[in-house]
Amino acid sequence: MAEKKARTFRYFLSSIGEVFSVFFSLGKAARKTKFFFFVSFLPVIIALVIKLIQVFSEQTTLSGIFIFSNIVMVLYLQFLILVLALFFGTSVCSEEVEGKTLTYLTTRPISKSSIILGKYAAYTVLIILMVAIGLVFSFLILNLNNLLNFRLYKILLRYMFVLVLGLICYTSFFTFLGTFLKKSVLFGLVFGFGWESVIQYFPGSTQKFAIVHYLKSLLPVSSGRRFSFLLFQLEPSSVGTSIFMLFLITAVFLGLACLLFFLKEYIFEDQ
Amino acid sequence: MNPVIVTNNLSKWYGNVLGLSDVSLKIEPGITGILGPNGAGKSTFLKLITGQIKANIGTVTINGKKIRNNYTLFSMIGFCPEQDSFYEEMTGWKFVASLLKLFHFSAKEIEERAEKALEIVELTKDKDRVIRSYSRGMRQRLKVAQAIAHEPEIIILDEPLNGLDPLGRRKIIRLIKEYSSEGKTIIVSSHVLPEIEAMTRKIVLIHQGKVFAQGDIHYIRDLIETHPHIISIKCSNPRELASKFIHEDYVLSVHFDSEQDSLLVETRNRDKFFALLPPLFVNFKIEVQEITSPDDNLQAVFDYLVGK
Repeated sequence: MAEKKARTFRYFLSSIGEVFSVFFSLGKAARKTKFFFFVSFLPVIIALVIKLIQVFSEQTTLSGIFIFSNIVMVLYLQFLILVLALFFGTSVCSEEVEGKTLTYLTTRPISKSSIILGKYAAYTVLIILMVAIGLVFSFLILNLNNLLNFRLYKILLRYMFVLVLGLICYTSFFTFLGTFLKKSVLFGLVFGFGWESVIQYFPGSTQKFAIVHYLKSLLPVSSGRRFSFLLFQLEPSSVGTSIFMLFLITAVFLGLACLLFFLKEYIFEDQ
Repeated sequence: MNPVIVTNNLSKWYGNVLGLSDVSLKIEPGITGILGPNGAGKSTFLKLITGQIKANIGTVTINGKKIRNNYTLFSMIGFCPEQDSFYEEMTGWKFVASLLKLFHFSAKEIEERAEKALEIVELTKDKDRVIRSYSRGMRQRLKVAQAIAHEPEIIILDEPLNGLDPLGRRKIIRLIKEYSSEGKTIIVSSHVLPEIEAMTRKIVLIHQGKVFAQGDIHYIRDLIETHPHIISIKCSNPRELASKFIHEDYVLSVHFDSEQDSLLVETRNRDKFFALLPPLFVNFKIEVQEITSPDDNLQAVFDYLVGK
């Protein structure tokens, strides 16, 4: 009995792996990925422009790491990870339904959960790579004259960790939304730029209903002095609680997405 | 012979719309043709027996096991869907190979099977082109390739001959017959009677979500033969032509259209009627612009059979 369960579990994991490999490869070549890869390079362009201005004006009042922190706060945390997670997360299910390709997946000997989890993993890794590449380039450009200061790399890793957790968590939520709603992108925008943007500034425990609260709780202490209004009213949770909550939210929404995908009947548009 | 697929009182509604009603069938190895006009419920039936959608009432079993959410059965089923949808940015080869991957085959097996399937549907030459650039016929053949690549025991094809040229049709029909001779169970749906007729004698007629008739193709043919046909002739002198038909007992009625340049003839013997036409045109020097059969389709035959 136990052996059968173990075999089934191994088969399940291997199915996730196969789905991952198919969609990671497909995702890399997709037009959407190329577009968002360009979008994820916007902070790099901004960093480059700032650096060039600094070099030509010989103005060095603002340190590289300070500008980098602010770019992370404003562009990555408040915008880029939300947009990437929204468009890739919702598409896990909706692109199969809208493109009417779902039939090819659901007539293979793999469980429906492995389809969702495999695609989720593939797309999450893709967007993590997009963010990581842009983040590292921005960091290197802005700290060009301070590259041997290894303390700065610790800060980079900390930001990277927060953004990766953000992508994992947001993508799971948007994956759930994509399996649940037809106009998931619209609802995702309302959630991402409405709910998340407002709730995080509520005092007391209300702000804990926003994912971004836990991400901000994990930021390095000196984050973004210039944009300190983005940390307005933040009553940070502990590091342990924040990490636990982010993983819990991820697990809950992925579980719900799998359950819905298993139960729901997807009817194609013209049928 | 033991039935491979059994459906009991299968019914499906989409909101208030009836998709399928009380369908009980036992499908044995060999080719079974599902015939019906567009919107009759053929695709709904195929989706139900492949577990794509859930029946409101009734059950589907394949080799005694329920299909819905039983993914283990899919290693023995190959399904070619009706919709013309693909991962457009993939090449034909990548598409078939990627879907084979989901069967947990080894890399070598995937390569061999994809190669073989593409060769069978004659897409080897174009396998490295992106699907977006494929013609309608090539796309149709690619759908068939993904359904047969894992060599399933049961092959379910929803309108597989759509968009194929006559040569392509013949090849797919030959392929289906070959699989049948290997003892596989094949279900093919179509709204074109001659297509089904070219493949099998076992036929299920579906109309308005119900099994209207099932059995040997000859039985269906006989039903259709008794159906009076309407033939439209657009010609230089319709009234003169009409006067020649009046004496024939197999001509039931003649009508003129409002523009007076064509006539509609109702006949209960189409073959005799068509044999009569050429000498009439020649002898009376009638210039013919068009001959069509407005009701020469399955919908009209069904309407006639169900007494509409």
